[in-house]
Amino acid sequence: MTIGLSEVQAQKYFTREGKISFYSDTPIEKIEAHNQKATCVLDVASGRMEFAVLVKAFQFEKALMQEHFNENYMESGEFPKSVFKGQIADVDGIDFSKDGTYDVTVEGELTIHGIAQTVSTPGQITVAGDTISATAKFETKPENHGIKIPSVVRKNIAEVVQIDVNVALEPFKK
Amino acid sequence: MYYKPHQNIKTSKADVNLSAMEVFQAFESDESTANEQYLDKIMAVSGKVRDVSKNEEGIVSVTLDAGQDMFGVICQLDQLSKHPREDFPIGEEVSFKGVCTGMLMDVVLVRCVEMN
Repeated sequence: MTIGLSEVQAQKYFTREGKISFYSDTPIEKIEAHNQKATCVLDVASGRMEFAVLVKAFQFEKALMQEHFNENYMESGEFPKSVFKGQIADVDGIDFSKDGTYDVTVEGELTIHGIAQTVSTPGQITVAGDTISATAKFETKPENHGIKIPSVVRKNIAEVVQIDVNVALEPFKK
Repeated sequence: MYYKPHQNIKTSKADVNLSAMEVFQAFESDESTANEQYLDKIMAVSGKVRDVSKNEEGIVSVTLDAGQDMFGVICQLDQLSKHPREDFPIGEEVSFKGVCTGMLMDVVLVRCVEMN
């Protein structure tokens, strides 16, 4: 994750324990995997937001699915990270000094399997004291990220995969 | 085959054995080489406990000191293994083995179990 650490100031919020899950639902098979080690940085002044996740840290219920996911689809040896870099579009409408919940739109670039796609998705920001919680749902097609799925298993994997992001951010302190 | 179980970390032999400092250095100095060497490997890593956290699902992560100001080697305890303890005093010298998944800000190992 590229954040200029020397530039990090008090208006930045941060976590290294973000939760990212993804879901692929088809009538044939439900697949889900979870990762609790995403990093996320939010600059409340500008609304800029980045998060990153290690693909190999996703854990599946079935070992074989995890293996296929890493080796055949995500090629996580070659592309170990997935990254989002973007912006809370309506950040000016959020009062980070007061407790409250805000519906927002998150826009930016989602890079999976080494291929970036421009995305815009709804999210929610909750301010509670010193903690800022953020949730967002992304939807993406594996094919949009250059992931080839053999036709024999194409029906087992959703056309559109849902990605849930859930982070609790705290003020960045050195 | 479909129900092939997850690898049993407790009974698996470590592929590599390093200190937290060595692991962090390897990733910091040349991440792509370190990825080639260590991704997916069962890594035994030892170091001083710098931080312990437990998330809302009860998953415990232990950060080992890597001689850095802010970053270290995070060992996330395995959800499929039983752990003799999940409480690690700050500063204690400990060893874990787990699967190396790469580096974000810290180097992250998942499925860790404590070694004696």
